[in-house]
Amino acid sequence: MEFLKTTRASRLLLLINLTLSVVYFVYVALFSPPGNTILFGLLVAAGAYHLWQVLSYIHSVWPRQRRRVFASRFTPPVAIFITVCGEPSDIVEETIVAAKAINYPNFSVYILNDGYVAKRDNWHEAESLAKKHGIICITRRTPGGAKAGNINHALAKTTQPFIVIFDADHIPKPHFLSAMMGYFGDDQVAFVQSPQYYKNNDENMVTGGAWEQQALFFGAIMKGKDTSGAAFMCGTNMILRRSALDEVGGMCETSIAEDFLTSLLIHEKQWTSVYVDEVLAEGLAPEDFLSYYKQQFRWARGSLEVIFKYNPLFRRGLTMSQRLQYLSSAGFYLSGLVVLLNAALPLIYFFAGLEPLAIGTMNLALVFLPYMFVVLYTIQQTSNFSYTFRALSFSLSSFPIHCKAVWQILTRQKSGFVVTSKRKVSGNFGYLVTPHLAYIGLAVFGVIVGLLREGVSSAMVANIAWAVIYIAIFLPFINAALEKTPPSEEAKDEIALQTSSEELRG
Amino acid sequence: MSGWMQNFHQPKEVRWWIVIVSLCAMVAFAVYFSLVVFSQTSLRLDEAQSLFQTNRDVPGMLHLIAQDVHVPGYHLLLHYWQLLFGNDIFAARMMSLVFFVLLILATFALASYVFNRNVGLFAALLVTLSPFMDWYGSEARMYSMLAFITVIHQLTFMKLYQEGRTVHWVWFTLTAIVGMYTHYFFAFVILTEVIFFLFTRKKFASPKSLLKFSIAGAIVFAALLPWLWYVLQLGSASNTQPSLTEPSSIDLFNTYAQFIFGFQIDALNTILVSLWPIVVLLAFFALQKNRKTSNEAIFFVLAAIVPVIGAFIISVTVRPFFQSRYLIVALPALMIFLAWILSIYTRRVRITLQIGLVTVILGLFVVQAVNPNTPVKEDYREAVGYLSQEATSQDVIILSAPFTIYPTEYYYQGDAKVTTQPIWNRFSQGSVPAFDEQKLETEAKQNTQSYQKAWLMLSYDQGYNDDIKNYFDNHFERLAGREFSKGLWVYSYKVRYDPGVKITP
Repeated sequence: MEFLKTTRASRLLLLINLTLSVVYFVYVALFSPPGNTILFGLLVAAGAYHLWQVLSYIHSVWPRQRRRVFASRFTPPVAIFITVCGEPSDIVEETIVAAKAINYPNFSVYILNDGYVAKRDNWHEAESLAKKHGIICITRRTPGGAKAGNINHALAKTTQPFIVIFDADHIPKPHFLSAMMGYFGDDQVAFVQSPQYYKNNDENMVTGGAWEQQALFFGAIMKGKDTSGAAFMCGTNMILRRSALDEVGGMCETSIAEDFLTSLLIHEKQWTSVYVDEVLAEGLAPEDFLSYYKQQFRWARGSLEVIFKYNPLFRRGLTMSQRLQYLSSAGFYLSGLVVLLNAALPLIYFFAGLEPLAIGTMNLALVFLPYMFVVLYTIQQTSNFSYTFRALSFSLSSFPIHCKAVWQILTRQKSGFVVTSKRKVSGNFGYLVTPHLAYIGLAVFGVIVGLLREGVSSAMVANIAWAVIYIAIFLPFINAALEKTPPSEEAKDEIALQTSSEELRG
Repeated sequence: MSGWMQNFHQPKEVRWWIVIVSLCAMVAFAVYFSLVVFSQTSLRLDEAQSLFQTNRDVPGMLHLIAQDVHVPGYHLLLHYWQLLFGNDIFAARMMSLVFFVLLILATFALASYVFNRNVGLFAALLVTLSPFMDWYGSEARMYSMLAFITVIHQLTFMKLYQEGRTVHWVWFTLTAIVGMYTHYFFAFVILTEVIFFLFTRKKFASPKSLLKFSIAGAIVFAALLPWLWYVLQLGSASNTQPSLTEPSSIDLFNTYAQFIFGFQIDALNTILVSLWPIVVLLAFFALQKNRKTSNEAIFFVLAAIVPVIGAFIISVTVRPFFQSRYLIVALPALMIFLAWILSIYTRRVRITLQIGLVTVILGLFVVQAVNPNTPVKEDYREAVGYLSQEATSQDVIILSAPFTIYPTEYYYQGDAKVTTQPIWNRFSQGSVPAFDEQKLETEAKQNTQSYQKAWLMLSYDQGYNDDIKNYFDNHFERLAGREFSKGLWVYSYKVRYDPGVKITP
């Protein structure tokens, strides 16, 4: 993979990026006199985390070639699983129709109906749809394992050597299988993943932000993971080899990030994976802020669980690249703590006059600005200019979600698998951005306190500038939370149901 | 993945009649403020040197310039300009104004060629409003000419990149020669182009561009060689240049702050420079879907950074010569880059930031113009006028640093003897002698003997003004002291107590 015109140029940019990142960290950690010791320690820890993120990103996108086998005539029997858990029937039906229209000689379509165990009123609609379209509906009667349990249940009732998983709202294109099955010509390939594309990405601020975040992941990052041999399953739009799945005991039911963890277990067994960088199915982004919030929390919680319970560093069978990649993906959600710290630093200065570093702000600028600019330029280049300020805003502003996930794991609280709503949910979601609104209030008040204490000093001005930056970053997120969107009729029923039986525990 | 992305819609380009009207308004703005404000300020040291050097025949002028730190292109031009329009400071400043006006138009031409007319107009507006540019657009020095030649040269370079026609090679070479004869720092412009070329060699429109650049470089070097040989023959650059201190990171950021916001007092400058984190936010805003950073945009980033960073590194590692005015070669590129990056923001953010930026610059433009404490203001006119009025034929005026004799001579109309400390005879000694503490007393006595009062004018501290002042404070009775502009002091001392002898015819 190369993102500039030549591999040499791409590598040069990454090396410059690496150098500037190391210089910044070393300067702050080793050559800057500490201000407040605790803040200095936290800042160095945050700097180390940033450096780790940069290093792992560079490792992901480092141009390297991977030889792949593609056997275009490889057409074994395939079972297409459409996982359903009370989603509106018109959405499921669209997926069924598209799945049936896939251009492939040997496949069967199944609805994996979890509506019954999830106590959805409309659970029987899936069976009606199956009947209508002449496909099989496998309705689970015994709960457990959430989506993974649903898939494992269906695996026991089918025999095809290859399994396709689609979420209820992901509509495959006719060449889905012909574009992906050929990779299984290599006997070592356990699964093939394609991107999750949100066709409703321009519907509102939430769908736009969600998609722009996804674009970086399903662009540069997954392509890089693919060449590192660490592409993992993303829950939908994927094909699995049954024998590989059997070897690890099916989809892992002990984590709400079942796809991520199962991938890790499969890679441990020396299987390989492939990521196909082509949109082969189109799905729906969460259309409202509450759904987005829940989705992000599930991902954060599930991924962080992997670090704390299945730390890739200490698992046998993974290559170094795979360890690094799994750790970096799972560790991404620790960034909430770092954002919280960085955003709090100006407030701490306003109210207490404490600073982590006792150096001239211009010296810091001299090492920080080149580092930051090159990092941003690298992200733009590697993402093929798909990353946006809104994506950045959504990522950084999700810090309360990430912090909450960390807290739940540390305090060993349980959390269930919540299916992302496929319908727009209306309501006042302002309470979800309370931390951000509080930040703005504290910043304004803090500026007054700081100015009364020391007047317009250079440190005050610099800290005001930092506070302004965080407020500007939070604003698109706050806007998305406060955006008024009328709910769909179906969503009213759905949310009513969801609140009554929100969690499906194993 | 390209199919995932939405197309970015460029805003419509402004019409040509709006462009013409806008450019006329910008030129009118620049000319008006130059004539009404900036050209009315006192002659400054550097300007006095320009006048002193150019008010002689060409060989004499070249001899003086070769002993200075500059190249003779500007001085030659100014020499003939003065023959046509007169040799006072106002006429000399008008030549700089001509280049400033041309710079505004050239900036538009370059930015609109590379990007579009909208970017071109806003870049030209930023150049027009830049208090820094307005200051040097009315100073009898080579800086506005240097900025203009830089932009014209960069235009030919961009044309080489995109079109690569023979005429562009010719212009590229010619402008490079003129640039190198305008200021040594033009070498940083060429360095930027070399770096850009190394990374984009295969994208240049012209085939065999490496060979052609090598030939052009050889021609430029050959054209500069006679001058370099002449300078070396005279024993290289003398010590007439000011002694400069090693720059710090603050100077680095001050340079960019000055480019955009002009020369401000320390307190205000501290606030401006401390706002640097906002630059990070501007970079975040630039994260736009499908807005690729073109190679041309990268060129302007390099052109805005390489000269400043290059001069900074050399000043820290080799010899200090970091002066923001020398780095004016980076200013137009910075403005073009700013105009471009603002143009890629979403409409609401773009308009807000454009209006905000212009408002702030305009505000600081006014502050720079009206604030008497603006750092670069050198009020020799007032100080020397004071001396002309107060010093009598029985007094002596002693100047330090010695080269401040140039602006003093320009304004001085009194009868007192004018000398320098260290004692410097420009016409026999050539370069300014180095300060020698051992000679301080001897020279002070030599300067003051047989005079009633000594008027000590201290400015452009070369590291010894305090020594001189302390000597005078400790050996003579100080009668008065007054600061005329930042760092420009006049002290008077009583050096003799016997009544002066009056000779009546």
